[in-house]
Amino acid sequence: MSIDRKKIIDDMSKIQVLGNSRGLIEAFNVYVNQLPTNFWNTFAERLVAKSNLDLVSDVENLLIYAARECGYHTGYGIITSEEWKAIVQPMVETTEDVLHGAFAVFTAWGWAQTEILELVPGEKMVVRAYDYYEADSVLYGRLDRKCAYMIQGVCSAFMALAYSGEYETDGSKALDFECIQTKGIECGDDYGEFVIEKRKE
Amino acid sequence: MANFVKTELKVKHTFNQRLKRHYLNDIQSVYHCHHYSALYTQLAIDANEEALLATAAEENFYVMLINYFKENNVEDIELKVILACEYYSVLGLGSLTVDVLSNNMSIVSSENSHIELGWIKKWKNYDKPVNYIGCGYVSAMLSAVLNHPIGTFETVELQSIVMGSEKTIFKSYVK
Repeated sequence: MSIDRKKIIDDMSKIQVLGNSRGLIEAFNVYVNQLPTNFWNTFAERLVAKSNLDLVSDVENLLIYAARECGYHTGYGIITSEEWKAIVQPMVETTEDVLHGAFAVFTAWGWAQTEILELVPGEKMVVRAYDYYEADSVLYGRLDRKCAYMIQGVCSAFMALAYSGEYETDGSKALDFECIQTKGIECGDDYGEFVIEKRKE
Repeated sequence: MANFVKTELKVKHTFNQRLKRHYLNDIQSVYHCHHYSALYTQLAIDANEEALLATAAEENFYVMLINYFKENNVEDIELKVILACEYYSVLGLGSLTVDVLSNNMSIVSSENSHIELGWIKKWKNYDKPVNYIGCGYVSAMLSAVLNHPIGTFETVELQSIVMGSEKTIFKSYVK
């Protein structure tokens, strides 16, 4: 692997995403926003907390689904961007390098401090997150349910971008892989861990 | 509300190298796209929890604006309005114009909207307003500008870009 993770994080974290005269940030083929992390956490946590027990899994899956689509479309925008071509592409030799590079960008953008621990091309990936904002709301004690919905969704999406063939604008390929969160900082673990595998029919 | 002196919002962006986290004026922030905000909005609509989304927005934007005004010693109402509208744009949420400001009822319009243009880009138009995040921002802005407690105002959309209007018009009133 020729990916210089530190250099990607250093360079990509310095990119200023600026709005235009209309107050819109148009970049990576999407409209971008930069909102407080606590806003996203507040809505997700309260929505889950208010849900009837028999609906909690459905609500969580919809939160994950939002991140899958975000990760698939924005991820594609990132790996086809001029910034990627300038900073990451020169290091890329294989599809696996693209994935390692994408997780460095994932880290640089403040989504989560993540890296790939294990990768079986096209089949399985294990990702560790050493710090992530979705765990921030736990100030004392630990949750009994893992709640890194955004990371779960984006991990699945990145795997699909790497191994599901050509990008499709309807985002349906973002469902090709599924992610199970096996550890969580919010649950008292030292890090979050995410296992992504091809979705079983 | 005319003849304002245009004042630039002070924006300090920092990146914590150890934690790999971004901060905008010392408030942790994160980049997300219109797919994410549209799907969160759709989820709120499907769950009949639009008010929850607006309240989450109001609480967080209120803190952001109050902190800014305090740290920069901004007390003038007109200046607060300008800065709060600029802040909306810095967040990438679009543009805001305060048409009428009063302690009891205000009108705010938006000719550009991340939420609504993102929704249209993703799914085309919709038959109901969808900018609950914008409603939360407007409620927060009015409370912060007028020195009222958070939760003072209810904001609704009188017309909406996502429904085909040229601009979205928010009406806010005391709850």
